[in-house]
Amino acid sequence: MIQALLHPIQFRRDCRFTMDHASEYLDGELTAGEQERVEWHTSICPKCREMVRALRRTISGLRELRASPSPTDGGAAAGVLDALRRAPDPTVPAEAPTDDTHDGDP
Amino acid sequence: MDLSDSTLVERACSGDRAAFEALVERYADRLHAVVRRLVTCDHEAQEVTQEAFLRAWRGLHGFNGEAQFFTWLYRIGINEANRRLKRNAPAANAQSLDGLVHEVSDNAPGPAAVAEQGDLRAALEAAVAALHPDYRTALVLRDIEGLSTVQTAEIMELSEAAVKSRVHRARLTVRAAVATYL
Repeated sequence: MIQALLHPIQFRRDCRFTMDHASEYLDGELTAGEQERVEWHTSICPKCREMVRALRRTISGLRELRASPSPTDGGAAAGVLDALRRAPDPTVPAEAPTDDTHDGDP
Repeated sequence: MDLSDSTLVERACSGDRAAFEALVERYADRLHAVVRRLVTCDHEAQEVTQEAFLRAWRGLHGFNGEAQFFTWLYRIGINEANRRLKRNAPAANAQSLDGLVHEVSDNAPGPAAVAEQGDLRAALEAAVAALHPDYRTALVLRDIEGLSTVQTAEIMELSEAAVKSRVHRARLTVRAAVATYL
């Protein structure tokens, strides 16, 4: 914390930068200079170091949620195929769309 | 031999239902998993997933191939999920994107309550479910589904900077909600 005393303005700026860009840092999306800035700052700032550590753990936990079994495991396709087989061929004129459309979204 | 999405789409555009059914087999479960985190129940998730594929089937001729098929499909599914959320959400519970990230949930326990039960996974699930839909979508696509920022931006029709901002805010909110486990 000596840096915080010797260079308080820069220290606060680095804290702000680390807080604002922690996700990009953990995703490897910062430039080499920015990455170095975060790594230097977290080496001297316990609060930011803990924040980055906790954020890393959070992201890791979120990624593990993907493996959560879905209630329909494998069954979603069956329902869709059933509905699809009852649907008319798209070359046959269908009813006009009833709601808003997005570019490329039918 | 597995055919590429682009080959299957090309065949489906020519009326080959089997080709489109192969795309269904390939993506239905993952789309359902994404949609399930956006809507309120399994039944609605199944309806949204079916509707998304039906829309994709009907609109396949309009798919110009500039985006990947699955990002186009996911966009359809998420837009449909959002339409249902807006249709079903009580006005009193609406939260602005610029305001609180958390939205009022239904009868599900909040993240703090779940955290007391001693389960990080359950606490994460509750924290994600409590996010505003726009933040939740970005987080689900980026961190749970593992899509890139570019893919997420394509699906949500946002800039990459906007996606990064939403993902970051969502992560910080979830982190705060499950802090006792980290």
